[in-house]
Amino acid sequence: MYVMHNSEYPLSCFALFENGPCLIADTNFDVLMVKLKGFFQSAKASKIETRGTRYQYCDFLVKVGTVTMGPSARGISVEVEYGPCVVASDCWSLLLEFLQSFLGSHTPGAPAVFGNRHDAVYGPADTMVQYMELFNKIRKQQQVPVAGIR
Amino acid sequence: MADVINVSVNLEAFSQAISAIQALRSSVSRVFDCLKDGMRNKETLEGREKAFIAHFQDNLHSVNRDLNELERLSNLVGKPSENHPLHNSGLLSLDPVQDKTPLYSQLLQAYKWSNKLQYHAGLASGLLNQQSLKRSANQMGVSAKRRPKAQPTTLVLPPQYVDDVISRIDRMFPEMSIHLSRPNGTSAMLLVTLGKVLKVIVVMRSLFIDRTIVKGYNENVYTEDGKFFLCVKRSFDVLVFALRTDVSVLKQLVICKLDIWSKSNYQVFQKVTDHATTALLHYQLPQMPDVVVRSFMTWLRSYIKLFQAPCQRCGKFLQDGLPPTWRDFRTLEAFHDTCRQ
Repeated sequence: MYVMHNSEYPLSCFALFENGPCLIADTNFDVLMVKLKGFFQSAKASKIETRGTRYQYCDFLVKVGTVTMGPSARGISVEVEYGPCVVASDCWSLLLEFLQSFLGSHTPGAPAVFGNRHDAVYGPADTMVQYMELFNKIRKQQQVPVAGIR
Repeated sequence: MADVINVSVNLEAFSQAISAIQALRSSVSRVFDCLKDGMRNKETLEGREKAFIAHFQDNLHSVNRDLNELERLSNLVGKPSENHPLHNSGLLSLDPVQDKTPLYSQLLQAYKWSNKLQYHAGLASGLLNQQSLKRSANQMGVSAKRRPKAQPTTLVLPPQYVDDVISRIDRMFPEMSIHLSRPNGTSAMLLVTLGKVLKVIVVMRSLFIDRTIVKGYNENVYTEDGKFFLCVKRSFDVLVFALRTDVSVLKQLVICKLDIWSKSNYQVFQKVTDHATTALLHYQLPQMPDVVVRSFMTWLRSYIKLFQAPCQRCGKFLQDGLPPTWRDFRTLEAFHDTCRQ
């Protein structure tokens, strides 16, 4: 289980399982987990975080950050969010065009999150799932720094 | 040159008038001196009386003479410049204390501003009259005798009829749901939900569409003093209640008012609001308002593919960060705002 925080939602805490449900809780969840330390074995893996600047262009939100694991930098993460659209699959082509304008050849394919539910409303849990997958990918490729894009 | 001569004549007459006033003053004071001194000492009483009366008369004559002289001179001096164009307001400019009472400069500014305002209003009315925006059936310039006494019938419709029309349109399109409420008197307020793309608040005046506001699907359309909110927002930070029910259930639960004034947070929907306002002015048919409402809703329905349709002209999705927000009124094709013909 992964516990994640997102500065876009400062009062929430996300608890994720791989391919499993995602819990969105209050920030006190951290403290709760510390109290339950006797029942859970916390994995050895150290903290990964991405930190950077947040840009706004028209209705797009672009967050560019450096992914650091402990003291070492592992890569760059770019997050693009299109505010007005709530259904993920609708605006993929729009997002793709926007990404191509500044990423050029590095534009990724459609994220897996979109494939499952076509008309479901996108939520912050989906963002965290994508981040989790990205961080796992970075963790696996320990030596070579990777540019991960979401 | 004439002004100069005018001024010099006035000045001479002024100085003469001033000396005439001094002469008049001295002759008047001589009269009172003579009265004060009384009769001189002479041999006989008659002699004294005669001398006194003669002296007194002389003094009065000199007063009379001086007064006539003064009147003649005052006529010569004339009125202070009648060719002053500002009349009374010009006299305000003679006030020397400009710091404490800048009346004249403020007066000038107010005058210039009101002139400019009048000019601009004239221009604006000329431009606006070119495009006829009247949507009611009344005609301009009909004489008082022929003007109908009552309001045109399309403006006074029973609310039940309006409800019927709206519910029929609601059933017409499956992806569009219309909810009607009357929180402020008889004018209907519609909340149109188009798929999961957007929400439109339409304020009506009997069957005429008055105003529209377009907001995103996840934005709040109710004012904040309501108790329940329809919250499908992507961010969970502010609102306390997040009822994951669908709109039809909430129709019964909602006890708060539609917010018809605040704009959307997203630029796309602000643009679409402008286009919707253009549309409601474009679709006009005063005699058959239900056809108008139907065509407006058909036009609005084309926005279901707001984020999926590329522009018909340039083929791209984004232009200045906006998707194609314009829908042609006849063909319902998508264009960017800058690409439309």
